[in-house]
Amino acid sequence: MKALNDVNLTINEGELFGLLGPNGAGKTTLIKILCTLLLPTSGEAKVLGYDVQKETNSIRQKINMVSGGETSGYGLLTVRENIWLFSQLYGIPTKEANRRIEMLMKELKLEHKMNSKVRTLSTGLRQKANMVRGFMTDPDLIFLDEPTLGLDVNASRLIRDFIKKWMSEKPTRTMLLTTHYMVEADELCDRVAIINDGRVLACDTPQNLKRLIHQDAVLKLEIKQVAEVSAFRNIPGVRNFTHDQNIATGTTMLKFILDDEAAVADIVAAVPKSGSRIVSVEKTEPTLEDVFVTLVGRGLTNHEV
Amino acid sequence: MAVNTAFRNHNPSARKRNIDTFKCSAWLGWQMESNWTDPFLFAVYSIVKPIAGSLILVVMYAIISAIGGNNDPQMFYYMFVSNCFFMYVGQVLFGVAQIVHDDREHFQTMKYIYISPSNYLSYMIGRSVSKLIVTTFAVVITMAFGIFMLGIPLSLFSINWPLFLVVMAIGIFCIMAFGLALAGVSFLTAKHQGGMNEGIAGVFYLFCGVVFPVSTLPAWGVAFAKVLPITYWLELIRRSLDLGAGLDQALVGTSTMVCLLILVVSTIVFTVIALIIFKAGDTVARQKGLIDMTTAY
Amino acid sequence: MKFEEFPKPSWLVMNIRAVFGRAYPRIIGVNRELSWVFFETVLPLLGVAGYVYVYKALEAPAQYIGYVIIGGAMTAYWMNVLWSMAAQMYWEKEMGNLELYLIAPISRMSVLGGMALGGMFSSSVRALSTIFVGMVVFGISLSLPDPLMFTGIFIFTMIALYGMGMMFASLYMLWGREAWHMSSLFTEPIYLVSGFYFPVKGFVSMLGNPGFWIAAGASIIPITLGLDGMRQCLYPGNRDGFLPLWLELAILVALSVLFLFLAKYSLAYMENLGKREGRLTMRWQ
Repeated sequence: MKALNDVNLTINEGELFGLLGPNGAGKTTLIKILCTLLLPTSGEAKVLGYDVQKETNSIRQKINMVSGGETSGYGLLTVRENIWLFSQLYGIPTKEANRRIEMLMKELKLEHKMNSKVRTLSTGLRQKANMVRGFMTDPDLIFLDEPTLGLDVNASRLIRDFIKKWMSEKPTRTMLLTTHYMVEADELCDRVAIINDGRVLACDTPQNLKRLIHQDAVLKLEIKQVAEVSAFRNIPGVRNFTHDQNIATGTTMLKFILDDEAAVADIVAAVPKSGSRIVSVEKTEPTLEDVFVTLVGRGLTNHEV
Repeated sequence: MAVNTAFRNHNPSARKRNIDTFKCSAWLGWQMESNWTDPFLFAVYSIVKPIAGSLILVVMYAIISAIGGNNDPQMFYYMFVSNCFFMYVGQVLFGVAQIVHDDREHFQTMKYIYISPSNYLSYMIGRSVSKLIVTTFAVVITMAFGIFMLGIPLSLFSINWPLFLVVMAIGIFCIMAFGLALAGVSFLTAKHQGGMNEGIAGVFYLFCGVVFPVSTLPAWGVAFAKVLPITYWLELIRRSLDLGAGLDQALVGTSTMVCLLILVVSTIVFTVIALIIFKAGDTVARQKGLIDMTTAY
Repeated sequence: MKFEEFPKPSWLVMNIRAVFGRAYPRIIGVNRELSWVFFETVLPLLGVAGYVYVYKALEAPAQYIGYVIIGGAMTAYWMNVLWSMAAQMYWEKEMGNLELYLIAPISRMSVLGGMALGGMFSSSVRALSTIFVGMVVFGISLSLPDPLMFTGIFIFTMIALYGMGMMFASLYMLWGREAWHMSSLFTEPIYLVSGFYFPVKGFVSMLGNPGFWIAAGASIIPITLGLDGMRQCLYPGNRDGFLPLWLELAILVALSVLFLFLAKYSLAYMENLGKREGRLTMRWQ
C-alpha cells in the first residue's frame, strides 16, 4: 500500500505551508520523509536544497520537529532538564540553552513549570514543553505535526499566536504545519496543500483555494432534527452536502455546495419530505472547509455525504 | 448516520465477570508470550535458556570434582533437580510482577483495566497462566536433558506421583502468591530492568536450598530458610523424585508429612501476607496517583 | 525572541555534548528513584552469593569463590549493555524519543555512548558493592601485582563490550518485543559460555580439545577474555587462565576496534533499512 503517490510540492523559504487532510491521508508520512526518518520508495525529496536520502546530516543541522499528542522525553526529569538534554544533541552551549529555554517557556506561559517533573504535566503543558524543545534549536525549517491536537481553546490560541510571532520575527524561517483544523490553516498558512489518499488535490493560498469554489453558492440550512437525510441526496445542482446533528438545539445542520442556485427550490422542497421543517436558511461565502469538502468529497469529521 | 444507543442491559454476576476476565487475560498472556516469533524460534528460545542455566551448574560440579572436591553424585542430582524446578520461582514470580510495569508503562493499558468492573487480581492470575505453561515446558525439557544426556537416574516408575502432584499444586499456588506481593510492590516502584529480574528470585535462590543444601548456610541463614515455604517445596520435590533427597542435613530429621504440613501452613500464611501487600500497594498507588506513571530513564 | 548566535561546535564537541546530554537522565534518574539501590545492588548480590555457596558445598579451593565474585561484579556491565543500552533502543522508540534522536545532527553512537556512560554509574556501584561484599562477607583476598595490565584488560573489555552493545542496539532499533526476548536469551547462555561463574579453562579440563574450541569461540564475546584476564590478574600464580595475559589483552584490543567498526556500520545499515521499511517509528510491536 502506498502512503504517498505522485506528490509534487515546493515549499518556499520563509513560507508557512499547511498540509490539510483527513486521518491516513499521508501527512505524517510526508513529514517523516522530509525529517529524514523515512526513505521514499521512489522519487526525490529535497529539504533546504539537500537530498533527504544522501545529505541527511546537512538537513538535520537545520530542522526540528514537534508532533502533537505525543509525550517525548523522560518522565523523571524536570521540564528544563528534558529540554536541555535535547539542546545538547544540537551542540548548544548550556548557558545559551538555558537562556533559550527560559525565554521560550515565558513565551508559552510555561515558566512556572520549569522545575516540575515532566510526568506531572497536563496534556497541554506537555505539548507546550514539546514546542519549546522543537523551537529551542532555532531551526531554519520546522515541522509541526498537529501541534494543537487535543488542546483547549486557550492553549491552542497561545500556540497559534506563538507560531505567528515566530514566523514574523525572521523572514527566512520556514514552517510546514499539518492540521485537522481548517480555521487554523486558514488563519496561519501562506499556502495550503489539500492531501487525500496520498495525493495532493490542490495547493494554493487559502484565498485562491476559496476562489476555486467562489462561484459556487453555499447554502446552510438548519432544520428540526431528523435521523435520516436521504431525501437530500442526489438533488440536481448540488455538488456536495454535509450534515451535522446538534443535540443541544434539537436541529440538523445541512450544508450544500451548489453548482446551480436553482437547486435551492428543490432543497427546500425536500425538507417536508424528510419529515422535518426549516428553522433557518443562510447563504454563505465558502470557507476552506468547503474547499476541502468539494475536493475530498467529505468533511474532516468523516460524515457521510 | 443514526447511532443505536439502545444497549441491552448487561449485568453479569461478579463471579462470571471474574471468570471471563481470567479467560481473557490468560489468552492475552499467551499472545504476548508466544506471538513475537515463529513457533520454531519460540521452542529454541524456551529450550536454550533453561538448559544453559543448568549447564552452568554442571560445569561447576565437573570442574570441582575433577580437581578433587566433592564428587558425590547425589549432590549433583540435588543441584540439578532443585535448579530445574526453581525455574517456576524465577519465571512465574517475576512474570506476575512484570505485568504491572509492562501494562503501566509499555502498553499503557493498566488504567483501563483498572477502571473496569473486573477484579484486577483475576486479571493478574490469568496473565500469569501462560508463564506457567511455558515454564512447565522448560522444566520438562531440562529434566529430559538431565536424564538422557547427563545420566540422572529418574524413571516414570520411580516417582512418588501422589506426593509429587500435591506438592506441585501447593508450590505453584504459593509462588503465584509471592508474585502478587511483588506486583503490589511494583505498583509503587520505578521500572527497573535486569536488577529486579535477577534479584527477587535471588532471595529464594540463596535461602531455599536450590543449588546447595541449606545446611551450608550460616546458622541465621538456616533459620531463615526454615520459614520459607519454597525450602520445603523443593525438598518435597526431591523426595518425591528420590533425587538428592536426604542430603540436606538441615532437613534430614524432618519427615515428609511434617514437611508437607509446614509447606501448607507457610503457604497459607504467605498468601495472606501477599494479599495484604498487594492490596496495600494498590491503595497507596491510587492515593499517590501512580497507576499511570511512567518512570523510564 | 532573541536567539544568540554561538560558535558552531566541531563535530567532536557536538557529539561529546550529546554523550553527556544522554548520560544525564540516567545519572539523575537513578538518584531520583532510589528504589534502584535495592534492585540493582542488594538483590543481585543474592544470586552471586548462591553460586558462592555452591562452591562451598562442593568444597572448592578458595580462589573459586573469588572467581564467582569477579564474575558477579562483571554481570553488572553485561546487564547494562543488554538491557540499558541495546534493549533501551526499543524503549526509546516506544516512548517517542528515538525519532527525536534520529533527526538530530549527531552520531547515533553518541546517544548510545551517553546511555552507556550514564548506565555505567549504577553498574559500577553494583560491581563495587559485589566486590565489597565478597571481601567482607566471604573473606576473599585479591592481590594486584600488575595494576597496569589489570587496567588495560578492564578498559578494553569495556570498550569492546559496549561496542558490541552498540551493534546489538542497531538490531533493537527495528525490533519490537523480539528485543526483550533477545536480551533475555543472551543471559544464561552467555553466563555459561563466557564463564561468569567458573574459569573458561574449565571447558578444556572437562572436554579436552572441543572444550578449547568452546572457550575460543566464546572469546568473541569480550567479557569472556575480560573475566579470564581479570581473574588471572587478581589471582596470580594459579593455573586457571585460558590464554596468556598479553595475548588476552591483544585480542581485547582487536575486539574493541572490530566492534566499534561493526557498530558504526551496522547502525548506519539498520537505520537505512528502518527508514526504507518505515520501522524506525513503528510502535506497539
